[in-house]
Amino acid sequence: MTFQGLILKLSEFWASRGCVLQQPLDIEVGAGTMHPETFLRVLGPAHWNVAYVQPSRRPADGRFGENPNRLFKHHQFQVILKPSPDEVQQLYLDSLEACGINPRQHDIRFEEDNWESPTLGAWGIGWQVMYDGLEITQFTYFQQAGGVELAPVSAELTYGLERIAMVLQRVDSVYDLEWSPGVTYRDVRLRDEVEQSRYVFNSGVDLPPGEFAAFHRRLFDEHHRFSEALLRSGLLAPALEHCLKCSHLFNVLDASNSVGVTERTAYILRVRRLAVGIAKAYVEQTAPAAR
Amino acid sequence: MDRELLLEIGCEELPASWLPLLTNQVGEVVVAALAAHRLPPESPAETFSTPRRLTARIARVPERQTDLEELVNGPPVAAAFAPGGMPTPAAVGFAARHGAEVSALERVHTPRGEYLAYRRRQRGRAAIDVLPAVLAAALRALTFPKLMHWDAVLDDGRGELLFGRPIRWMLFLYGGRVVPFTIARSPAAQTPQVQDVASGAVTYGHRFLTTSGRAGRAIKVRSFDEYRTRLLEHFVMLERSERHDKIARELDARAQRLQGRVSRVVRGEAGLLYEVPDLVEYPSVVAGTFAPEFLELPAEVLTTTLIHHQHYFPVETEDGTLKNAFLAVINTEPDDERTITRNAERVVAARLRDARFFWEADRRISLEARIERLATLAFHEKLGTYREKTERLERLAGWIAEHAFGASAETARQAGEAARWAKADLTTDMVRELTELQGIMGGIYAREEGRPEEVWKAIYHHYQPVAVEADAPPTAADLGRAAVTWAAVSLADKLDTLVGLVAAGERPTGSRDPFGLRRAAHGVFKILVDLHELARIPWRPAVQPLLDAAAAGYGRPLADWTPAHVSWFVSFLVERLAFVLESRGFDGRNVRAVTRGRSLSDIRPADELRKLKVLPEFADTADFQQLAIAFKRVRNIARELPLERFELVEQTQPLDLTEPAEQALLTEIDKRRRVIELAVEAGSGYREAFAEAARFKPAVDRFFDDVLVMAPDPHVREGRLRLLRRLERLILRLGDISEIVPEEARPGPSPS
Repeated sequence: MTFQGLILKLSEFWASRGCVLQQPLDIEVGAGTMHPETFLRVLGPAHWNVAYVQPSRRPADGRFGENPNRLFKHHQFQVILKPSPDEVQQLYLDSLEACGINPRQHDIRFEEDNWESPTLGAWGIGWQVMYDGLEITQFTYFQQAGGVELAPVSAELTYGLERIAMVLQRVDSVYDLEWSPGVTYRDVRLRDEVEQSRYVFNSGVDLPPGEFAAFHRRLFDEHHRFSEALLRSGLLAPALEHCLKCSHLFNVLDASNSVGVTERTAYILRVRRLAVGIAKAYVEQTAPAAR
Repeated sequence: MDRELLLEIGCEELPASWLPLLTNQVGEVVVAALAAHRLPPESPAETFSTPRRLTARIARVPERQTDLEELVNGPPVAAAFAPGGMPTPAAVGFAARHGAEVSALERVHTPRGEYLAYRRRQRGRAAIDVLPAVLAAALRALTFPKLMHWDAVLDDGRGELLFGRPIRWMLFLYGGRVVPFTIARSPAAQTPQVQDVASGAVTYGHRFLTTSGRAGRAIKVRSFDEYRTRLLEHFVMLERSERHDKIARELDARAQRLQGRVSRVVRGEAGLLYEVPDLVEYPSVVAGTFAPEFLELPAEVLTTTLIHHQHYFPVETEDGTLKNAFLAVINTEPDDERTITRNAERVVAARLRDARFFWEADRRISLEARIERLATLAFHEKLGTYREKTERLERLAGWIAEHAFGASAETARQAGEAARWAKADLTTDMVRELTELQGIMGGIYAREEGRPEEVWKAIYHHYQPVAVEADAPPTAADLGRAAVTWAAVSLADKLDTLVGLVAAGERPTGSRDPFGLRRAAHGVFKILVDLHELARIPWRPAVQPLLDAAAAGYGRPLADWTPAHVSWFVSFLVERLAFVLESRGFDGRNVRAVTRGRSLSDIRPADELRKLKVLPEFADTADFQQLAIAFKRVRNIARELPLERFELVEQTQPLDLTEPAEQALLTEIDKRRRVIELAVEAGSGYREAFAEAARFKPAVDRFFDDVLVMAPDPHVREGRLRLLRRLERLILRLGDISEIVPEEARPGPSPS
């Protein structure tokens, strides 16, 4: 099955189970969780089922296209089921079968792994799903987002698309994956991986010393200030976008070794405060009118 | 089976590390809930677990609750009847509340007088009617390391039911009949896909394996025997020991086929073989290999990658060298295991490729060059970075080797060097990826840089000891020539952490000890207690100078702390030392004698161990017991002369004594001082020293018989108190032997 075939199968499967098929968030994020379709929709009482692909940037994992398993940008297939149906584990296993994985011929296990995002003030209880010893999915019952306790509880399924495709296609390097018939992952992604890695590690960027960090710090501060203004104005979707900009800029600063320890904690805290503020405001805005 | 209780809580996969304790707990909470509901079980609970179920079976539970009979107290008799004998409104009202006549009430005598009372009798209800409440209580009583919301509610008046993982089904049978019970779902979550969980007579087998029909369908059972048999038919081995044995058997057979054996690293309570039975319901073992070139990686890296990250078992030859093979325990019985093996091999190869990349990249930067990078790693928000910690450690470890252990200047230099590089591996990719290799990698990289054994092994082992037992690693054989340098670095690290964090206001409370302060203190004392055996160093350091040296590293001597802060720290340390000594099997009273009430300048852990080895010979003799009682009296009275005053007058004023009994005691003290002080100075001859101390008894008795210590004349009184203080100080150098008084002879609280 090709890489895009896998995305199609999963999309088809979850659409047929009542999910809204959403599109990726069109700004830089580290994970599908940051998409408002997850971060905001898990808040409050409204039920919601949604699935989407999210290209996810992890600057620190950039390897200049030289590592067969690590990527600056990988792809997650994200599913949110709110409330979590009783049969959610079985549904998940059915989705694997739909992709051509026969659970009876493999060793599939749910191993404890609780997820936490300090920058988003979010955490959950769950597992990493192991497929013959390989982690292919993060399975989380959301307990808190933006510091807000969640009821009802959402199930979040985050499929690692590259990993699943690699075992299905039996290749040892992500770049050898067949993206579409006759086109490899290398053809599609390699050049971007190399250039993005050089950028985030500030390797050969033609700037005066210190300017790289200074530029990103400036951007961080501006987006932060603007996000606060949007939050004050009750414009939560754009406020979240500027908050996510901050999160990504911090990741770039961190990957390029530009932040010290105390500063690091302070940056995380600033993003977290924004995320918490946005989550609280969202809950208030969407609460059913009190009588 | 007619009175058998069978409960299975069917869960989504519970964490393996929880299962051993949860398995015991599920029996305890059911038994306790039965007892509380007046259904005391007539046979013990048997408990079982797999990742997807917690099971309790009790062969005989009474069919009916025991009858309840209790006396409910009403008004005092004095207030219950009017002078004419007519019941007052208070008495009538009380009787009416219980639906009785006043004449049916009883009278009870209480310490507060005579009261009217109503005897309430309640006939026990049928078990089947009470058991739902028993299950509710049991579900509430189970404790988990981490709880989750899953939109579940019980109608026991307490609302939401948090649990370890969502409950998917409940098999709940009494005498073969289903006991009705329901976990409701919160209104916010209600959809057709979110249903109440109702008890039933069904269980579920393995997720994927089945002999007939569809995997995962419901299996009806009526009794425990049937339950167990049917589960096995559906590929669930209920008994943990059976899963364990099957795994162990297949591991050995597979390893033999590879001309090797399973690596010894995986045995023991913390080992992989202890964990895997709780990860599977129907285990089998497959074997895989990896490219032989990966064997060039350090064995520690290979085993950590296999064991901690993949739960795979390394295979080694008879002489203990690793083979390029591993064994994987899987939760299935595949038709064709080659697919699973190939995938597992691919994961292992990817991980080892990563590890090899780290191994090669890390060695391009020396440990020395990494120290600068430690400036970006926080040790603690109030205590700066690891760069700063490294500077403190270098000085402290060198000082400890030379000035606390009496080692040569060269050894002290090596200890300082090892301490300087001890934390450098925190900046390596390998340790960032495999954190459990901290220290170990630093040691290996130092070895690769050609550092001598004294240095690289000191780094390698400096996070140890983790346990407190005498034979806890590292052993003398592990350490080789590095015993002294290791002890200096390890002590320096733990002392620096302890003193620094306590100064910063961190304290362990209850089960919370986020910075591992207790573990650090245990490490300090484990090293100090066993140092002499392990490192053969000439000196036996006392605790106080070590603390002072560590505090000096922060530029904040203990003298600048508040007295309350110091006193908390001292009692914390004394408790931890006592814990280490008691874990060696020494009597608690003797341990208290050598740890409590003594100055940390006097406490030399290595010596305290030696004292404890001879103390039992004395502790239970009549002479010693009586001396202990007398010493208690000495200590109580000597307190009347504050220590500062005592030290001042000892230096400035002659001791005037008049009574013969006073003179006799002074002579005794001066005579016996030598043997006791010699033992304390030399750290040996404690048997003679305790024997010598035991001889004080007659002189002390005579002193108390003949002399009134609290004499009216302040000068005379102070002289007598000084004498007792001298005796107290002398004996305290050995220990507070008043602690040896047996419990029954201890003066109880005074009757009021």
